[in-house]
Amino acid sequence: MHYFSFALFALVCGWLMLAAKTRRQVVAITVAGVLISTLVIAPPPAEAQGGIIQAIQAVLNVINGAIQTGLNAINTTRAAINNLYQNLIWPVQLINQARAQVVQMINQYRTLMASILNIDLHSATLATPQSLENAIRDHQVNNFSALTQAFGNTYGAIPLSTDASQADRDMSDMDDALTLDSLKTLKVSDSATDLELQAADSIETTAGEAAPGSAPFLTASAVASSIRSQALTQKMLAAELRHEAAHIAHQNGFRKRGAAFSTQLRGVLMNLLQHN
Amino acid sequence: MRQARELLTKGTSWIRGHKLRVILLSLVLTIAAPWPAEGQFSPCCAILAAGLSSISSALQSVIGGGLNQILGIDQSIQQFEQNFVWPQNLINQARSLVGNLQGIFNQMQTLTKIQVNSATLPNAQLLEANLLSRNANQIAQTSANYTALYGSVPAATDASQQVRDMVDMTDAAAQAAMKRAIEIDALSDLELQAASQINQSIQNAAPGSAPIIEAQADAWLVRANAYTQAATADLMRLRAIDLANSSADIKMGATNTANLRQQLMNLLQHN
Repeated sequence: MHYFSFALFALVCGWLMLAAKTRRQVVAITVAGVLISTLVIAPPPAEAQGGIIQAIQAVLNVINGAIQTGLNAINTTRAAINNLYQNLIWPVQLINQARAQVVQMINQYRTLMASILNIDLHSATLATPQSLENAIRDHQVNNFSALTQAFGNTYGAIPLSTDASQADRDMSDMDDALTLDSLKTLKVSDSATDLELQAADSIETTAGEAAPGSAPFLTASAVASSIRSQALTQKMLAAELRHEAAHIAHQNGFRKRGAAFSTQLRGVLMNLLQHN
Repeated sequence: MRQARELLTKGTSWIRGHKLRVILLSLVLTIAAPWPAEGQFSPCCAILAAGLSSISSALQSVIGGGLNQILGIDQSIQQFEQNFVWPQNLINQARSLVGNLQGIFNQMQTLTKIQVNSATLPNAQLLEANLLSRNANQIAQTSANYTALYGSVPAATDASQQVRDMVDMTDAAAQAAMKRAIEIDALSDLELQAASQINQSIQNAAPGSAPIIEAQADAWLVRANAYTQAATADLMRLRAIDLANSSADIKMGATNTANLRQQLMNLLQHN
């Protein structure tokens, strides 16, 4: 574009010089040419070198100022987080100490407590009660018939229909049944208790090797075990409720029969008095 | 050729005759002529190169150095967390334990389903089957089965109102306790089922999600405690009624004795 403008300008300027008649016209054309070339044809002035230096300096200022400050701040923060993690939240020393404490407590208590729980409580002295006592304390759930047999041997069978009223036989049968139900439930719960203790031991042993990140699994599992434990306790409570309910129902049965006997006796006495 | 020579001769002579015009025209054209571009080795480019070099150096030292320091700390944090906080092998070990515990819990659940029915006579068998049903829908049958075995409240002609009230209250407490026992059995079965589901969730959990499951398990535990308390409350009610009955027996004995004494005195006075 500049070359085209220059060629056009040179042609016009040359023709005007050729055509000029007086020296004054030549001077006028020269002045006009200089002015036009300076103001119109001349390219825009180049950027000064000072602009480049300022731009580079500005970039360096940003790098050394804002970016360096930012990176330093991030670095300081990350270092602080690292420090917080390693020294305050999860200090390895305390993690190891906690594990060691778990192991130490396992060694201190587990065997001792197991030996206390396993102390032999058998106290019967005669053969038949001994047999029953063995059956109710053996933590087995596959010998209920032996328990029923031993219970029958110790406490006797339900009276025959010729020997007792139906009401007495029914109540006696119900009492025996609920007693046996409770004894069987206790054998079940004894066995479940053994499993609960086994679960507790496993959880505790694993806790002795756990990391902060794996411990939530153990605590969650321990809570789930507690729910089960509560459920088993509730089953025992339900058995006890049945037992106690049958107990007062039995006593209440006596009251009802007492009332019936009193009515019968009053009738008999009235008849006797009338006959006399 | 000749014409060109003539033209050149004319031009030369015109230039000699118009020196001023030629000089001025040359000056103007020289001023207006476009200048060639700056070369690569101009002072401006040298400054630019030096500036870029400074920027590069600053990027390497300030930004690169800073980022390297941050990277070093982050790697340290990552190593610490992987080795001490969330070690994969210990997480797997915990998950494996949860799986093993599920096996133990399945055994416990099987134990709780063992039948313990023991009655031999029809009425007792009916009531016992009802009480051990673990089915809340069976509660409606409890009162009928109970009455069939233990009898109903004496008629007004057969017992005093006090005795009838006492008998009725005792029956009510006994039946309520039996119904509660059915409820508690049903609830505990559901709790065992929920505990198994929770345990299954723990096996599939991440260290970050396990506390959520733990919170849920805690809620279930609170609920289970509430059920236990409800059962304990009914047990205490039973024992309270039992104690009240013992007391009532003494009170009625005293009243009966007083009445008998009065009647005997009346009889003696008549004779």
